[in-house]
Amino acid sequence: MKTEMDFEDLMDEAYGLPNGTAKLGMLEEAARVADVNGMEEEAYEARSEIVETATFCGYPMKALIAFSWQLGKFDQQPERYDEETLMWSYKWILGELSSFPEVSRDKMMELLEDFGRRFKSFGYSERSYWYYRFRISMDLGDLEEAGTSYTKFRSMDRDFMSDCEACEQDEIMRYWILVGEDEKVLEAAKPILKGRMSCAEIPHLTLSEILMPLYRLGKINEADKHQAKGYRMIKGHNDFVQSFAEQMDYLARTNPAKGIDVLEENIVLAMDHEDPFAKMMFYARAAQLLRRWADESPGYRLRLPASFPYEGDPGDLPKLADYFAAYAKAAADKYDQRNGNQHVSSMLSEV
Amino acid sequence: MCLDQRKVSEMTASNEYRFQVNLSGMIQILSNHLYSSPKVFLRELMQNATDAITARTEAEPGFQGEVRVELTGTGEQLTMMVEDNGIGLTEADIHEFLAMIGQSSKRGQQALLDGETSFIGRFGIGLLSCFMVSHEIVMLTQSAKGGPSMEWRGKPDGTYTIRQLETQLSPGTKVYLRCTPDAAHYFEPEYVKEALFYYGALLPYPVILHSDGVQHNVNSESPFWLMEPELARGRRAEVLAFGERLLGEKFQDFIPLTTASGRTGGIAFVLPHAVNLNAKRSHRVYLKRMLISEKAENILPEWAFFVKCLIWTDELQPTASREHFYENEKLEEVRSELGDALRKGLADMAESQTERLQKLIRLHALSMKALAVQDQEFYAMIHRWLPFESTRGHRELGELMSEGETLYFTTTVDEYRQIHHVASAQSMLVINGGYIYDSDLMAMLPQVVQHVQTQRLQPDEVSMSFTDVPPAERNQYYDALRLADSALQRFRCRAEVKGFKPADLPVLFTLSQESSTLRALEKASEESTELFSSVLGSLSSGISSAGYSALYLNINNPIIQRVLTSPDVQMTPIAIEMLYVNALMMGHYAMNRQELEVLNQGIIRFIDWGLRANTDRKGDA
Repeated sequence: MKTEMDFEDLMDEAYGLPNGTAKLGMLEEAARVADVNGMEEEAYEARSEIVETATFCGYPMKALIAFSWQLGKFDQQPERYDEETLMWSYKWILGELSSFPEVSRDKMMELLEDFGRRFKSFGYSERSYWYYRFRISMDLGDLEEAGTSYTKFRSMDRDFMSDCEACEQDEIMRYWILVGEDEKVLEAAKPILKGRMSCAEIPHLTLSEILMPLYRLGKINEADKHQAKGYRMIKGHNDFVQSFAEQMDYLARTNPAKGIDVLEENIVLAMDHEDPFAKMMFYARAAQLLRRWADESPGYRLRLPASFPYEGDPGDLPKLADYFAAYAKAAADKYDQRNGNQHVSSMLSEV
Repeated sequence: MCLDQRKVSEMTASNEYRFQVNLSGMIQILSNHLYSSPKVFLRELMQNATDAITARTEAEPGFQGEVRVELTGTGEQLTMMVEDNGIGLTEADIHEFLAMIGQSSKRGQQALLDGETSFIGRFGIGLLSCFMVSHEIVMLTQSAKGGPSMEWRGKPDGTYTIRQLETQLSPGTKVYLRCTPDAAHYFEPEYVKEALFYYGALLPYPVILHSDGVQHNVNSESPFWLMEPELARGRRAEVLAFGERLLGEKFQDFIPLTTASGRTGGIAFVLPHAVNLNAKRSHRVYLKRMLISEKAENILPEWAFFVKCLIWTDELQPTASREHFYENEKLEEVRSELGDALRKGLADMAESQTERLQKLIRLHALSMKALAVQDQEFYAMIHRWLPFESTRGHRELGELMSEGETLYFTTTVDEYRQIHHVASAQSMLVINGGYIYDSDLMAMLPQVVQHVQTQRLQPDEVSMSFTDVPPAERNQYYDALRLADSALQRFRCRAEVKGFKPADLPVLFTLSQESSTLRALEKASEESTELFSSVLGSLSSGISSAGYSALYLNINNPIIQRVLTSPDVQMTPIAIEMLYVNALMMGHYAMNRQELEVLNQGIIRFIDWGLRANTDRKGDA
């Protein structure tokens, strides 16, 4: 019986797996084996893989832990490791950090400056700094600052360390959603929806983000099409928990029965999710949806995973909705406190 | 999140404007990006030929098509001629298809929107691929609709000439290619013969090759059962032999694929070797009976990676590279129907040929598990043969269930490693759920099979199988335990006395998920930059104080008994600390600096005490 696998076996096993929890488990075990045996370069290699895998399957905390370790090692011996891969990872980490309300506003800004300083020192374009400043400002609810950074990064040249056009376009779209200009949202989404820009996560994300703006503009037919296509692409994937929330937000208004399917099929992903922001959004939209569904189909018993920590009756939908809402609101308060504004709780105003 | 661009192979460009195309540049692009290799020129020519024949058959029902390929000359004169007796092109067709590159593809898209398309090829682009092997393309054509015979001559710089021929040819098209020196091997008779079979094996009309004065019907053995796959069942040897010839592997088993509409079908050959989950799925697909793709990935469901299929269809739309199909509702429907056919094949085996199925599962357990996770009915059918790693060894699930015990499972290999020794010493049945699908399958099992209990086991829960120490007895150890707790506090750990096996194991360290995350945060924080350390610090403050690990002291162990029964303010904390780091080492945990320090100081101190005891004794004597 093979219980203690060596580093190479574990890495081979991991490389043979698609992104997901099983792969992450193998990589973490590989990192541990490397640590225990004092194999520092191997430990670094395993962590590079952990950062990427964790980033793309919804484990931002694991990504951050592995990256922090790597950055420390890199600073001690920069000549030993590849800086481009590490700096690319830095972008992922920076893009996720604001999801943790424990990370203060000052810390976020300090990290952004650290990131900018490092990019400059390697001679990369300053555009990445401004682009991430734009993103972080949106996360913190500083929309004016986001607008300034937006203008700034758009005027600068892309380089090989820039995010791809599809990802950038998606963030631009998010900006117009936040400032409430639905027409501009559609305009920004156009190249993505037409298929002219795409990447590993686009249009997956876009097809859910666009639903509410289309709904508000009365374009239900178009929205329905995107909803069906988008859901097909993201169903069952751990890194699209926030997209499920957007789907439920829309479906609660147009087709709650389908919304309940989305809820039941993905709640198991949301309940243990490492990204507290995505989990909050999922719970918030679940609450809205359940209230709507309670009116339409009283007595329906929601199918919850066996390990779901809810003691009450799954047939009492209003109570269950309160449970989800309470969780979401408590989380939103933490963000508001950190951000020093009502940016996040205002997204949940209908909950 | 954006993927590192150096890892992104396919990027989509956008442009709203019309641009001038440099044709030789385009050909470079075609050969390097759109097509996987120059050899596809023959496939493209065959596709154009079959399109032309299809069109003529539609106009003249009962028409018998034929494709002829002729190789003549040697060296610089080596020429290939591909001829069909299809619909042919009028002068207007030539302008439409060949003057504007990409035109035919647009027509294809429009036809798709209209719901039906009988042409596979995008004639112009297909013809262009010939520039990968020839510096000149000459095409002679006569339209079946009448008009004069035409000649088209194209050069790779994008210039071409068209002229009317004086003689009248019979309807059809001939394409002449003179081979470039580095493409000579694509013109060798043996190669061409194999390639023609490969592309045209399913064509319902003859493909004939002439070379060195010999004529050969390349696809004479296209079997009748291919179009009615159900009939393949009784012809095992024949089917396997055909599969080997066409797909190049020695198969031992197959499952016929059928769909309700009868517009898609084929044979799924079971791969004779195990396959990696990330291995490219490469099915051979014939569209309108002409080979369209040798590496279609998306035509079968994800889980079906244990088969290599020969599939024909006339209802799917190929992508630009024609190696895959457009991901649309039609494809989804076909995919799920083909999946159902495969599943049904497996279900039949489960019912009447269990040995055959067991053999298949032994080779392709991963594929079977992938399907079982999605399909409970299937899981119920095959669960007893699925293999799992457990504290009783590598066993089939049916065997593990036979004792009627609760099946405990971990969710990672790390958790399993931490506890399997201790768990098996307590004779708990624990399954390693760290491999892909395994923990999901374990969690689902009670819903699928009656009278089975499964339970996720966290490492800190292994203690539930330990024997409790009665309160009265525990009370005797009160002082020692208090000393132990305060010594362990700085490691966020607490001590507990239990009885467990094996007796020579003094202590066992376990930690919950939270405390495991905390450990990881602390470890990374020690190694990281100041800024990131402080970020990690704020994150660990957000994790609940439940994040305490436990050090189980084994009351069955003589050393532990001595530690517990003789509390000593000086000795006990040091002994406990040493037992703590010993437990970490036994569990192969990576230690942090503080723990390493305890280990180092402890060793020195014990050496010191040992030596002193020695000298003291000498002094006494």
